[in-house]
Amino acid sequence: MGTEPLLTVENLSICLGTGDGARALLSNITFAVKPKSVLGIIGESGSGKTLLSRALVNWVRAPLQVTAGKVIYQGLDLLALPETQMARLRGREIAYIGANPTTALDPTVPVGHQIEEKLRTIEPGLSGQEARKRVIAMLDAVRIPSARSRFDEYPFQFSGGMMQRAMIVDALISNPKLLVADNITQPLDVTVAAQILRLLRDLQRDFGTSIVFVSSSFGTIVDIADEVVVLDKGKIVEAQDTGRIQKSPDHPYTRELLAKVPRLWHGVSGVPQVHVEPVVLSVRDVAKTYEVKDRASLFKKNRVQAVRGVSFEVRRGESLGLIGESGCGKSTLSRLLSSLEPPDRGAIEVNGVDVATLHGDALLSMRRRFQLLLQDPYNSIPSHVSIGTTIAEPLRIHRLASGNGLRERVCAVMQEVGLSPDLYDALPVGLSAGQRQRVNIARAMVLEPSVLILDETLSALDQVEQAKLLDLFDNLQRKHGITYLYISHDLAMVRRACARIAVMYLGKIVEIGDNETIFDEPAHPYTRTLLSSVSTVEAKPFLPKDYLLEGEPPDPIHIPEGCSFRSRCPFVIETCRSVEPPLSTRAGTSAAACHLGLERLPMPSVMTPGRPGSDLKQMDSL
Amino acid sequence: MAFALEFFLRRISQGVLIVLAVAFVIFALLRIAPGDPIRIILGPMATPSAMEETAERFGLRDPIPVQFLRYLGDIAKGDFGNSFIRGKQGGTTGGSQDAAGSPPVERAAVIELIAKALPYTLLLAACGFLLACLVSIPLGIMAGVRNNGWPQKVALYLSSLLVSLPNVWVGIVLIYLLSARTGWLPAIGYRHIGYVIIPAIVVAIELAPVMIRSISVAVATNVQDPFYEIGQVRGLSARAMLFRHVLRNAAVPLLNSFGAQMIGMLLGGLFVVEYIFSFPGIGLLTINAVFQRDFPVIQTVAIFASTVLVFINIAVDFASTTIDRRLKF
Amino acid sequence: MAIISSIPQSSAPARSQSVNARILRLAWRSPEMKVASALFLALCLLTLFGPFIIDASATKISVADKFLPPIFMDGGRLPYFLGTDQLGRDLLLRSLVGLRNAFLIGVVSVILMFALGCAIGIFSGYRGGWTDVVLMRITDIQMSIPVIILAITILGMSRPNPFTIVAVLVLSGWPIYARVARSVTLAERQKEYVRAARIIGASDLRIMIRHIAPSILPPIAFVAVLDVARMMIFEAIFGFIGIGIQPPTPTFGTIISGGTQYLLNAWWITIVPGCLLALSLGSLNLIGGVLERSRNLVLQGAA
Repeated sequence: MGTEPLLTVENLSICLGTGDGARALLSNITFAVKPKSVLGIIGESGSGKTLLSRALVNWVRAPLQVTAGKVIYQGLDLLALPETQMARLRGREIAYIGANPTTALDPTVPVGHQIEEKLRTIEPGLSGQEARKRVIAMLDAVRIPSARSRFDEYPFQFSGGMMQRAMIVDALISNPKLLVADNITQPLDVTVAAQILRLLRDLQRDFGTSIVFVSSSFGTIVDIADEVVVLDKGKIVEAQDTGRIQKSPDHPYTRELLAKVPRLWHGVSGVPQVHVEPVVLSVRDVAKTYEVKDRASLFKKNRVQAVRGVSFEVRRGESLGLIGESGCGKSTLSRLLSSLEPPDRGAIEVNGVDVATLHGDALLSMRRRFQLLLQDPYNSIPSHVSIGTTIAEPLRIHRLASGNGLRERVCAVMQEVGLSPDLYDALPVGLSAGQRQRVNIARAMVLEPSVLILDETLSALDQVEQAKLLDLFDNLQRKHGITYLYISHDLAMVRRACARIAVMYLGKIVEIGDNETIFDEPAHPYTRTLLSSVSTVEAKPFLPKDYLLEGEPPDPIHIPEGCSFRSRCPFVIETCRSVEPPLSTRAGTSAAACHLGLERLPMPSVMTPGRPGSDLKQMDSL
Repeated sequence: MAFALEFFLRRISQGVLIVLAVAFVIFALLRIAPGDPIRIILGPMATPSAMEETAERFGLRDPIPVQFLRYLGDIAKGDFGNSFIRGKQGGTTGGSQDAAGSPPVERAAVIELIAKALPYTLLLAACGFLLACLVSIPLGIMAGVRNNGWPQKVALYLSSLLVSLPNVWVGIVLIYLLSARTGWLPAIGYRHIGYVIIPAIVVAIELAPVMIRSISVAVATNVQDPFYEIGQVRGLSARAMLFRHVLRNAAVPLLNSFGAQMIGMLLGGLFVVEYIFSFPGIGLLTINAVFQRDFPVIQTVAIFASTVLVFINIAVDFASTTIDRRLKF
Repeated sequence: MAIISSIPQSSAPARSQSVNARILRLAWRSPEMKVASALFLALCLLTLFGPFIIDASATKISVADKFLPPIFMDGGRLPYFLGTDQLGRDLLLRSLVGLRNAFLIGVVSVILMFALGCAIGIFSGYRGGWTDVVLMRITDIQMSIPVIILAITILGMSRPNPFTIVAVLVLSGWPIYARVARSVTLAERQKEYVRAARIIGASDLRIMIRHIAPSILPPIAFVAVLDVARMMIFEAIFGFIGIGIQPPTPTFGTIISGGTQYLLNAWWITIVPGCLLALSLGSLNLIGGVLERSRNLVLQGAA
């Protein structure tokens, strides 16, 4: 490896605004990127890592201002370079990929055409046909299926993962020397993120590109980077080898970061246990299909099978976790459960009463007992009325209280969820995401529900807030005996919060079981894939090399015959092609929909939780 | 292909229904409204029995739906009827006739009246529209690209100024300044192409502010889209991003406001301007027809105008869905 | 700019509703807004109180004083600040009465079309299905009749008075509001707060009135300010064609058209009152324009 660094950053400082009101966002950043290596930059949201990654390509616009320092690329200070020279480097020698691939391209022009446009700007001599051929070859190389026809498809027809692959093609088509990748796996599902990461690693090896990989996930960074720079509040607190930083982090902040990475297997104690109380919520064979217009044919509609027969039960005071990746049907299921839409078939029963049969007052009183909390803390509460009024609205609608009694009840519930009653007359403006989510919780709790559905309720919050709210939910459950249904994509969260867990894939539950079974001895290859893809710093019982998936889930319009997972399953057998496996009981309350038995899946890597040192030995063997 | 076919099948059938509904509304309005056309045709001296006879002959005493169906039947045969008032040789024939009246055949066919007036209106519309484009496209784009700077200020002030000038008044002011006072340009009526200049300016003054505003807003919105800046980081020039991508995206809302707002405005503007300048187009024909209760002319113009509106909107929507494939119809 | 929103302290932003307050505050800070508002307020006061004192004289004919020019020209004299018309009527007074009538017609018709259009639009967008199809086809039909044709048909055939004028304007203006309100409602219906409201058991009517309307109406109302000016222009056009408020009540349209015959000798009869109209429209449009610009700036996070 060369010793001359490809890129060096010297004493870089960036401020927001000018003069006295200026706020430093980055100060005294210094580091170097070696040729053909991957430098990881880790920082939490707000650490300035996106700003830093943009400064590397000289993309700093007013009111942001570089107040000091240099970004030197092969002897040239990029920040001082005239725009014309910078333009010659951008996209040619230095490429950049951002976190949100879906908005990176013109939505009205096919993806392939835009990459071709870039290629021909960089190499003006290239003929259209030649450029097209190269783009298609490259799309093929990043394993975009049927690259030739995908070339002419529009950005909205690409999934997030496919789009991110296309952006990688766009970045690498000019064979750049340096690639800045800003949080590129963040919006993706775990299995897709794992694929992208592996792809990037392979390409880095093949092309010899240097990469600056920016991420907020420690697990992801240690997976890909050779060296790691830790960024906290705009300052570098530590710079180390990847191996060393895991074993012996120097700075307390780094240790704190490492400690915050959720553990799924090591140091997990007291996972919630299954209850034997009566069944409160029973979902039986629920299905929902939507019709969408098919542009390619006359008057034809496509049937999107969003939910294809889901059954489960939740007992009083229990927490069930429903996990799955985007497109698995969990949001549709959540809409059905909140009885905003009726299912096409099947029944949702609360305390033995089919919700679909209810009307008027009966429906209203069912709603009271059956509440749902949504994900977005900003859009789910109205911002033009006071917090107290928002929380009181359900009481007014259900005519449960008025006057002083109303205010008292609202204040009581505010206190219970950890909101100061002083906020009663305040507007939600200026509340943090966590506080807003508490307003939501209070609004649901004021009705004293017996079932609470948490639809990605905690996804928008940071780790610390999440932990606090999980504790709050625990307390409420103990105090009021509430039944929770967590709908989430976050494995670590359901590991901590749920007694039983159901895994959804393509509109069906493919595996359901108690917490320990799902995490330690799952029987469905998809469950194992999910567990293998999760980014963590501990040793995993299921190794990515055994389970890494190819491709993406089939679209819910053309669901393959037989097992719906067979198109991606690494262990597919003949039966899978024709026979759809039923959800069959294994032991106790656990069940999985797979033709393979446990014996035909790879053994989980040996590990004994709690044995000291086992983490690191496993890590090294990765 | 299938998409385009279904689009046109559906939209044209809807369009025909809309035009029929518009025709019926106007048809009924005319017949419900006070003011008897027979009185105007025959003049104040006509006897009640003669009036009754003429009304019978024109079919004006039948129930409105019957009249409407008969009217539709005639249209289907390509016959839009004859003017109540205007003679074949041009000029108004109402009022001065004897009680017997002249038979309808001697009166001008509405379709011919329109055919004669239409070229003038199209000429005026084209000139006014082009003139407005000349000012508003460059200014609108410049104002949209940077949201603080002089083009933005100029655009705001100019459009606030122009939109505040009532077209009737601007018309008179321009006649006074450019014609009556100075004699630079001809103004009233139409004898040669020079007569179109002042009316076209008035039309353009009405259109320009709306166009400047829509263009700058549409461009500004798309310049803020991440793809514009990311495109430059990807190695494309700001120019390329603006002309190949931003304008393409901006075309969608622009087409929309063109179909929903500007065409209607242009039409309204033409009517008023033609009236002010006695410009012999459709607008003047129609306004005179209203004062003379000349039902067939008003009906036909209304049907023509709404057909134009409906079909321009179909074309606009088709263009939008072709540019942006995410749109449904 | 996206990056601003990813900066921590400023990113717990005062979202949404306070937005309207911020727009108003930002707008008020611009000098244009202050000038335009002051001008508009002055004109309002003039039209409100001026004609009350001297209403009768706006139609008083005084042949001896005909064709007097405004006082800034040779031959002009008090009390005729803006001169007199062909019948010796005071042009300033006539303009002020005309302005008041135009303004009342503009405001009333915009309020009505705003209320009607938005109500129908929210209902249509929220309900969806057949309700939506039928209501939107009605707007299609209404929008396919050019305003001017509808106006000259209805007003030209009947005896126009302020009520029929307002009716015609509302009739031709509501579909745009309905369309806009509907399309915003369609987007709004998907948002989480609507779902949250349904989950706590709020009725559709309650959601439409208490939740959707407050969040979608303010931006539409900003645009409505511009429409007041547009309606005042229509009122002038109707008067000019002779299908507006009928003489002897003065309106801008009749003042302007009445003076056209004397354009060469007494140009001020048409041109000076028009200036007053343009001034008042200009102040309204500037207010609307500044509001719109401020709104864009606030939404972009640039202010």
